[in-house]
Amino acid sequence: MSADKLNYAQVNRDVMRPLFNPTAAWWGGIGLVSIGFVIGLYCLGMQLVWGLGVAGYHPPVFWGVYITTFVFWVGIGHAGTLISAILFLTRSRWRTGIYRAAEAMTIFAVMTAALFPGIHVGRMWQAYWLFPYPNQRQLWQNFKSPLMWDVFAVSTYFTVSTVFFLIGLVPDIAAVRDNTRGLTKKLYGAMSLGWRGTDRQWRHYMAAYGFFAALATPLVLSVHSVVSWDFAMADTPGWHSTLFPPYFVAGAIFSGCAMVITLMLPLTKLFKLEAYIHTWHFEHLAKLCMFTGGILTFAYGTEYFVAWYSDNMYEWGIFVDRVVGKYWWVFAMMVACNCVIPLLWWFKKVRTSFVGLFVVSIIINIGMWFERFNIIASSLAHSFDPGSWVYYTPNHIEIGILIFSFAWFFLWFLLFVKIMPSVAIAEVKETLRPPLRHDEEAAAK
Amino acid sequence: MSSAHASATGAPVKAVYKHLDSLLQGIHDLQAAGHRDFTVLSPIPRHEIEEALYRGEPSPVRWFTLLGGIFGGTMVFSLASLTHANWPMIIPGGKPLVSIPPFLVITFEGTILWASLMTLVGLLLNCGLPFTNPPKQMEDPRFTNDCFGIVFTGTGADTSKIVHILEHSGAVEVTHG
Repeated sequence: MSADKLNYAQVNRDVMRPLFNPTAAWWGGIGLVSIGFVIGLYCLGMQLVWGLGVAGYHPPVFWGVYITTFVFWVGIGHAGTLISAILFLTRSRWRTGIYRAAEAMTIFAVMTAALFPGIHVGRMWQAYWLFPYPNQRQLWQNFKSPLMWDVFAVSTYFTVSTVFFLIGLVPDIAAVRDNTRGLTKKLYGAMSLGWRGTDRQWRHYMAAYGFFAALATPLVLSVHSVVSWDFAMADTPGWHSTLFPPYFVAGAIFSGCAMVITLMLPLTKLFKLEAYIHTWHFEHLAKLCMFTGGILTFAYGTEYFVAWYSDNMYEWGIFVDRVVGKYWWVFAMMVACNCVIPLLWWFKKVRTSFVGLFVVSIIINIGMWFERFNIIASSLAHSFDPGSWVYYTPNHIEIGILIFSFAWFFLWFLLFVKIMPSVAIAEVKETLRPPLRHDEEAAAK
Repeated sequence: MSSAHASATGAPVKAVYKHLDSLLQGIHDLQAAGHRDFTVLSPIPRHEIEEALYRGEPSPVRWFTLLGGIFGGTMVFSLASLTHANWPMIIPGGKPLVSIPPFLVITFEGTILWASLMTLVGLLLNCGLPFTNPPKQMEDPRFTNDCFGIVFTGTGADTSKIVHILEHSGAVEVTHG
């Protein structure tokens, strides 16, 4: 059904249809996720029992796959809030169909990222040491440390994004409640907080929603800036650059939008949501990727120019090593996946086809993981002292935990699409012409 | 159109509308008759409804956001400054203990975090959420689907007059009691 023929009741029916009834494709997804879980939990269990020695850390490379994966998932978590908050404030109508699932993706990506500082430091059960409270000597954390900033930035981003997401869900959960019975109705009734859509509720809701969007907007830009300072504040060659914040933010939006495309293309087909999520939604996302991908390519070039122009042999040394050293294949993957292959989207035929969008979006995410690995591992493996130069590659335990992160992320997403409306019911209705007696009378004449 | 006329006073009246313009007419007619004790229900937010009922008066939620932001920013900056002053790390070269640039990062985060949490508190308090015991007239599933509604809860008004106003405005169903 085309969008111009939609009415309010039809929106309720279409968006709620996929809820609660698992299909073969959904069970297939759960099956794949379960395999990833078994592999990942085995590897994680091994590391928890035997300690970090089972990971492939190779001194002085103590930041490897786990920090790479942390930055990767934080980056993925950028697109949802960008779409839901920034595009809300700029009144971009194309956000309506896709923002709910993109927001959910953000929450689950940050939940995945949040596992990794704990996995990285080994003793996960002591992760609470990160939070600001004094130790037994009344000594507080060092608030001048970028690692401490990161704790504040990621936890604030997660909290604000989650509140924004849940508040956005309330009217739609109320609609689901009114479409169910028995215990399910009670559960959705509790989750909807008794929402009835009264004038008083809508009035304060819309005011608060605008504030949440305004508050979340600077967070989109700040979180990955702060993550970039984890590196840029250190004097390690290849990291110590003022370019990092905009470079990281552009990369995060690039990978996040690509992940939205990867997730929502099959979701739209499987749940038959074509009336709400059109090809032009994906085309807009692809254009956002083309824009941020252009910034990223420019940043890669600028990095090399700055390293050469600095006339600092350590700085220039690492940048040359990344291209012709042992990590050349990581650099090649990064450039091919992030700079070259996405150029295919400049052809309208590619960026409006299912296969063209799906395949390139996956390639971008592979490239963005390699980009973080290129920054993190190669710099540590090729620092100031040639005597300390090593070649670190992840071992099976680290790869297993990387697989676990994908299983964990997709498990949450699969559960979400079955218990929550994947498209924002109330906001889609807002974009439709309201039912007017005047229109019906005019049509009858 | 189904209706139930009565001359009793004080009974809640529920009107269901299929059309937004009819609903706005109903709001206007009730206000013109001097009634204010009614609730409008809608599956979506509409500026026309808010304008008709609140005349552009801004929501007080904004004060919660502002106070939350001021509190969060002040608290986090104070936390960082006081803890550094309490256990000084003397760095040669005249670096200040309370240093603005690094503390601004967490001050910013604290401002946003507390502004958001207080916005949530403001939203819940002002909306009356959780709304645990709504009048049964509001529990109509059509109000989260494709219909608008008015629930009149005023006491002392002649129910039959209210029913008449709502029916006349274009409600497709008016019930009371």
